[in-house]
Amino acid sequence: MAQDSVDLSCDYQFWMQKLSVWDQASTLETQQDTCLHLAQFQEFLRKMYEALKEMDSNTVIERFPTIGQLLAKACWNPFILAYDESQKILIWCLCCLINKEPQNSGQSKLNSWIQGVLSHILSALRFDKEVALFTQGLGYAPIDYYPGLLKNVTKRVNGNISRVASLSRVCVPLITLTDVDPLVEALLICHGREPQEILQPEFFEAVNEAILLKKISLPMSAVVCLWLRHLPSLEKAMLHLFEKLISSERNCLRRIECFMKDSLLPQAACHPAIFRVVDEMFRCALLETDGALEIIATIQVFTQCFVEALEKESKQQLRFALKTYFPYTSPSLGMVLLQDPQDIPRGHWLQTLKHISELLREAVEDQTHGSRGGPFESWFLFIHFGGWAEMVAEQLLMSAAEPPTALLWLLAFYYGPRDGRQQRAQTMVQVKAVLGHLLAMSRSSSLSAQDLQTVAGQGTDTDLRAPAQQLIRHLLLNFLLWAPGGHTIAWDVITLMAHTAEITHEIIGFLDQTLYRWNRLGIESPRSEKLARELLKELRTQV
Amino acid sequence: MESLLQHLDRFSQLLAVSSTTHVSTWDPATVRRALQWARYLRHVHRRFGRHGPIRTALERRLHNQWRQEGGFGRGPVPGLANFQALGHCDVLLSLRLLENRALGDAARYHLVQQLFPGPGVRDADEETLQESLARLARRRSAVHMLRFNGYRENPNLQEDSLMKTQAELLLERLQEVGNAEAERPARFLSSLWERLPQNNFLKVIAVALLQPPLSPRPQEELEPSIHKSPGEGSQVLVHWLLGNSEVFAAFCRALPAGLLTLVTSRHPALSPVYLGLLTDWGHRLHYDLQKGIWVGTESQDVPWEELHDRFQSLCQAPPPLKDKVLTALETCKAQDGDFEVPGLSIWTDLLLALRSGAFRKRQVLGLSAGLSSV
Repeated sequence: MAQDSVDLSCDYQFWMQKLSVWDQASTLETQQDTCLHLAQFQEFLRKMYEALKEMDSNTVIERFPTIGQLLAKACWNPFILAYDESQKILIWCLCCLINKEPQNSGQSKLNSWIQGVLSHILSALRFDKEVALFTQGLGYAPIDYYPGLLKNVTKRVNGNISRVASLSRVCVPLITLTDVDPLVEALLICHGREPQEILQPEFFEAVNEAILLKKISLPMSAVVCLWLRHLPSLEKAMLHLFEKLISSERNCLRRIECFMKDSLLPQAACHPAIFRVVDEMFRCALLETDGALEIIATIQVFTQCFVEALEKESKQQLRFALKTYFPYTSPSLGMVLLQDPQDIPRGHWLQTLKHISELLREAVEDQTHGSRGGPFESWFLFIHFGGWAEMVAEQLLMSAAEPPTALLWLLAFYYGPRDGRQQRAQTMVQVKAVLGHLLAMSRSSSLSAQDLQTVAGQGTDTDLRAPAQQLIRHLLLNFLLWAPGGHTIAWDVITLMAHTAEITHEIIGFLDQTLYRWNRLGIESPRSEKLARELLKELRTQV
Repeated sequence: MESLLQHLDRFSQLLAVSSTTHVSTWDPATVRRALQWARYLRHVHRRFGRHGPIRTALERRLHNQWRQEGGFGRGPVPGLANFQALGHCDVLLSLRLLENRALGDAARYHLVQQLFPGPGVRDADEETLQESLARLARRRSAVHMLRFNGYRENPNLQEDSLMKTQAELLLERLQEVGNAEAERPARFLSSLWERLPQNNFLKVIAVALLQPPLSPRPQEELEPSIHKSPGEGSQVLVHWLLGNSEVFAAFCRALPAGLLTLVTSRHPALSPVYLGLLTDWGHRLHYDLQKGIWVGTESQDVPWEELHDRFQSLCQAPPPLKDKVLTALETCKAQDGDFEVPGLSIWTDLLLALRSGAFRKRQVLGLSAGLSSV
């Protein structure tokens, strides 16, 4: 407590000085400086109030003899009064100063003075006497006509946006006041004649902050304008999303989808410039985390929401060419990937996957067009489309026939983009072997966890790198979910598999994603679904 | 129902008292009760907002009250004028008490505790009142900042936000008064004319006459409007202006030419009377041979410039107004003898001035004494 009060005293001095400099915030500099400090000052006021409310009026004056001055200066700064809840907190602080039973004239005067300040805060602007008489004569009090007046002022300013820079500054404290929304929108959308930006950065920041905290509701076009005109705001929005995803429950795609749509980023990304920035940030995150599965899942959810938004917006055809979104891709590959599996008959999925594989392989192994960005770009593109990417293993297992090379290649590529040709070929062989065994096992009447483990262990004596291990794991999990007897050994197998916390998380992620995908694509298999849910539930309690 | 009306009456009295020195006798308990009354009536407002019969009854009661107790704002502070006002009667009461210096220290202390209980309030009602007051303060600041920083002053009166707001209020009140009784609006307007600053009133009327068909004022809570068709307010105003020649004369004199042209274009019923006035004014001027200009005999006569400006503005209006004006001028010129030479008939000179486009034909021409060839 003592430390707090020392901090408060320091802050007090700081703010007292600031307020003196700002005065009534009538110059450009004072306005800018005030805007920069609005949030912090409000925090200070809150702390002040917490301290003051514990004391009685006399103690307050003893402790902070100049408090009256501080509060008065704040009250005469219209920016502070207009900001968020500052006016409310100021009033609370003033109320703490009121003496219930004034003992002397000094205290009475203080009470009187406080009343004056409260009046100043609450009562109407001193309009011309004529106007005041008129409204009174009609029987209206300020509270009756203030909303209307504000609306007219807003309309008026809106229809006549000239001093844009100063207007944007003035709007900074007002951003969460809903009456002013049309003005904020107009400012964001208006195109000045200058090539350089005329709106103040603190305006953009304030609007962005309000959007992220859901304190303002603007049409999508305004949000897009904001992010196009002020890159830091877009970046902040992305970071905000990442933070939310980290802090919330891991591995729940449904929740991620909610957050994603809520963030407005997929909708905004219909504008290619925004898409590119967002995609770039995803790319960086992916590289930094060395391909973390959670990031991949997030990218997939983003892409799905993005495609939905794109479809809603453009109905028949894209407003922008595909190349503007995916510059490193051949248009044919892009078009195929953009197709929603839902829109294609189930029987054709295999074929589509083969086609995708061919196109990707061509892009990856094509030596002459190095400028395409190399294998990583192709892989990065592919992982966007979870509908297809996550389907490969399942499709391989479903087909009783000889596993198509194209799909084997695709699967190996998906899990090991950095592999060289030989490495990949080896992986493909291993996978083929595993598939063979699994097929055999699925025909036998009884399954054992041990057998499955052996199958998985095929080739583990040679150093099976983590990606390949992951691949095999996922194949096995798929098998467990689909094979008729899978549920009997499922838990045992998983227990054997999940010998680290990381792998457990991976399995949880896999199950969650599978259920999510099945739900989206309308794949109905009650038994598999039930099994997956049970496993998921059980595993979640363990971490 | 009866008890509800009684409550209403008593609260209105309470509200009236709250801005007098009588509150010096109030103790904290009285303050608390007063606020409770207000809260109760706010509930009533919310509850019966959509309930036609009860709402109408309450509204009628309030109208009558308002009229009787020096209604029409004859008193220093207005009371509750309509049902809508009930929606924030607690704010009204709170503000009056807060500003009343006669309130005792103990009572004031209690009042402030009630109004601003601080964060984390359990009572939903208290919270609403606190929020309303905070929002009022915030809006006040917003208006201040936007008006003084947001735009350059526009000389057009009808675009001034404060004017527009006053105009909206006037039209709204007119509708309400008209709903109560048919002949009321005219009397209402006349009483306003007698009591309120006239210059401002005239401007507001002009702006009101130029308002687009009414869109309802933004309410805090949406209520179904029980008003009739929007254009009625302007009709009432036009009717009243036509029926009060003294007011109309002041109207035409006080307002800028451009504004009058807009008003007359919009409301053709006014144009004959307006033109009539202008011709009257014109007839009062005579030609001063020495100075070479048209002057009036008395100080309140409308000078040539003003007359000219008004006609010029009218001639820039779209037909049929423009044509009417020119016809009127031609007629007057003919009646005077149809001279073509300046200095003999004011109508000739006006037409010459308007046609030649020499807008600023001033006394300069009069320097060459005698006939001036334009």
